[in-house]
Amino acid sequence: MESGKNISKLAIGFLTVMDHPQHGLFGGYLVLNLAGRPLEFHCTAPIKPNRAQQILYGPTLESFLYGEQIGSTLLGHAKTSPLVVCTDREPVLSLRDLIDLPVALVLPPVEPEEFNGTGSDAHPTVTLPNDDCQAGKPDVPRVLRVDAPHGRGPRLITFELGRNRLALPQQKCDDRKRFSERLGEAAASLDLWEPFTRIREAIEEAQQAAR
Amino acid sequence: MNRQPDRVGNGIQSSWHSPCAVRPAAQTAVFQKPEASGERQTESACYFVGREPSSELFHWEQPLAPEVVSHDFCFTTESLITGWNRALKRPMAIEVTTVPLNTAAPRAIQIPIRRTSIRVRSFDFPEPIETPRTDQTSTAVSQVQSQAAGGTLKLNATRIRPPQDVIKLEDRLQYLLQPPLEALLSNRELAMPFQPFPFQFEGVAFLYPRHAAILADEMGLGKTMQAITTIRLLLRRGEIRSILMVCPKPLVTNWQREFHLWAPEVPTLTIEGDQTRRAWQWRLPDVPLRIANYEVVIRDREILARGEDDRPISFDLVVLDESQRIKNRGSTTSEVVRGLSRRRSWALTGTPVENSAEDLVGIFEFLAPGFLSPEMKPRKMGRTISDYVLRRTKEQVLTELPPKMFRDADLELTPEQRETYRLAEEEGIFRLTEMGEGATIQHVFELVLRLKQICNFDTATGASSKLERLEADLEEVAGSGRKAIVFSQWVSTIKRLSKALRRFGPLEYHGQIPSSRRDGVIRQFREEHSAHVILMSYGAGAVGLNLQFANYVFLFDRWWNPAVEDQAINRAHRIGTSGPTTVTRFLSLDTIEERIDHVLQEKRELFDTIFSGAKGPGKLGLTHNELFGLFAIPGPGRRSSTIRAA
Repeated sequence: MESGKNISKLAIGFLTVMDHPQHGLFGGYLVLNLAGRPLEFHCTAPIKPNRAQQILYGPTLESFLYGEQIGSTLLGHAKTSPLVVCTDREPVLSLRDLIDLPVALVLPPVEPEEFNGTGSDAHPTVTLPNDDCQAGKPDVPRVLRVDAPHGRGPRLITFELGRNRLALPQQKCDDRKRFSERLGEAAASLDLWEPFTRIREAIEEAQQAAR
Repeated sequence: MNRQPDRVGNGIQSSWHSPCAVRPAAQTAVFQKPEASGERQTESACYFVGREPSSELFHWEQPLAPEVVSHDFCFTTESLITGWNRALKRPMAIEVTTVPLNTAAPRAIQIPIRRTSIRVRSFDFPEPIETPRTDQTSTAVSQVQSQAAGGTLKLNATRIRPPQDVIKLEDRLQYLLQPPLEALLSNRELAMPFQPFPFQFEGVAFLYPRHAAILADEMGLGKTMQAITTIRLLLRRGEIRSILMVCPKPLVTNWQREFHLWAPEVPTLTIEGDQTRRAWQWRLPDVPLRIANYEVVIRDREILARGEDDRPISFDLVVLDESQRIKNRGSTTSEVVRGLSRRRSWALTGTPVENSAEDLVGIFEFLAPGFLSPEMKPRKMGRTISDYVLRRTKEQVLTELPPKMFRDADLELTPEQRETYRLAEEEGIFRLTEMGEGATIQHVFELVLRLKQICNFDTATGASSKLERLEADLEEVAGSGRKAIVFSQWVSTIKRLSKALRRFGPLEYHGQIPSSRRDGVIRQFREEHSAHVILMSYGAGAVGLNLQFANYVFLFDRWWNPAVEDQAINRAHRIGTSGPTTVTRFLSLDTIEERIDHVLQEKRELFDTIFSGAKGPGKLGLTHNELFGLFAIPGPGRRSSTIRAA
């Protein structure tokens, strides 16, 4: 982070999608300054894929809806360009192909004794021990490889940023460096998991107001 | 099997034991097959038809040889000419039928995969005023988390939630999307001297978004700290800029001290001095926080109403401490504070209902005029105010606070007291009866006070069963190096006690002690080992004091409502107390005190009804008739009204 820059103008984007069993998918995008205060909030009306989309997109439907449809629409409405975009839903990572911003999956916090960097069961991952992307190759020591089941999406690499565990698609592992550079010292202390709770509550509030 | 055949063959009775001399004409061997089920499931049996069996007479007839028949299977066959082979060699006749294709040519159907247009609602929030330094972007979240990671602190996230009266979605989201309070408050510039309890964070989260609120926590739970912390956050956010804190006069220094402790960065100004000085203080611009006592506010009502340019002096927030002071809607205090120009109104009290539900109506006239009416039933009132009032008790939130133990000292009057009491009561009742319809509430009230004083001390001899008991108890308190607080309603009683208890180093704290000396008295009580007891009046000592270093509380006589008694007790039983608090309530048996105690119980039930939804008694407060009823005298048939605490 550049010193002397007014950090209130620096922001982080938090994007999530809620799957409501009756109404469909709700997208929410919250832009916070580095002190955690809200700057912008955008949420979508519920969307449901039609039958043709379900058939024709097949296993790619989720990443299409979460990333291309909801994610890019929400970012398109935002006035503030964030330093990075965080999400807690893996299919949103496909958004990275459409924007020039690093997008990372924030993994749920774990108890300190459980935190061994090997990723959770839900996300087949490879751990990067340092900044070098090449270290992600399976033949490098201290790298754990877990192959994704068929149709399970891209293999992810995880890394630590401050107290947070993040994951990236392996082909975007350069974004790790961007995350560290852009968030700077703030990364050491920011809680990147907590804002998703706010988004979900805000979506529910907006949904209730719409009824 | 032990079954013996007693009837065989064709119904001829067998005789197994009689000798048989006659040879049967014919003998036949009969084999009985074993039955599959029932009684006759037996082994194979062989018996004879006839009389007594005899092995000598038994013989088998030879079977006849089988007859053999032979058959010849050599059949003759002939072949027949069918003509089928020829038919197979003939070519097939093919018949062609032409079917015209009348249907249209196949069509390709296009399924358009349109990009669905998604509706988006957008909300922008004003740029926050506070701008944390670059090197401190690690806000409280990180610090709290660091401690949590170290296993020293459980990570909590107390969120601010919008109150029900915030309607606009954008406003509601503004609250919902704020970071947890723990994160905001652990910012280096908002450092706190002590780690607040989780329920105190909840109290701050309750006050923060509300424009009208009552924080009604039980005494000792830190209402002061919660209010100051919320004010601090709102000031930092720029949501408020001028605050007026109104409190009882004895508590002004307490608020100054607490603000210095919990919000050292907030400049405060205490309104005091002569009228000219006060007028200048009221009109000073850019003062974030003013502290004034109720009397000053009443005295300066004209200044407040006109300000400088004939416009009222306006505040972003007015906080009333011990807000039960405005429970009487007709009082000058209530009228003046209701007239203050303000955007937000908060009330702090541990006893929102002291005598009757009307007390709460009075406080709400300041918060939200017309929101409550005296005609509301307690349960409905409880539901109506639920979003405006936050009430927690120590039992609910401080499960680790040492217990509060009650001892009811039911005492017989000394013979001298009894005689004086009897004469006074008989004379008083006789006078009231004689007065008939002319007897007023004041006459009854005077009698009650007189009898209560006799329960404390015999007016003629000074004998007192309560004093005897108190001295005995204080011997134990002093012997163990502890400290005690004794409450009484009368300064005269306190002065008598002070003389009688001289060996315990008593200190006095009541209305006749000048305000300037009161802090010194408290300090002396806290620091001097020889000062084992402080004698307090309910009026002066029941609110705002922190005396958690005292482990014993004695209620020498009883106040008119249990809420004030609770306040008095909680001077000692509060956060920071080192051990259990023992409360001794003196009560003279078979006197007016015992009868009043029943009324106090009913009031306690009323309070529970409003604040817990439980079903309570129908009677509210102490009415004319009830007061007359203390002496079994019928009321004078006028409208019922509630007696206020003197």
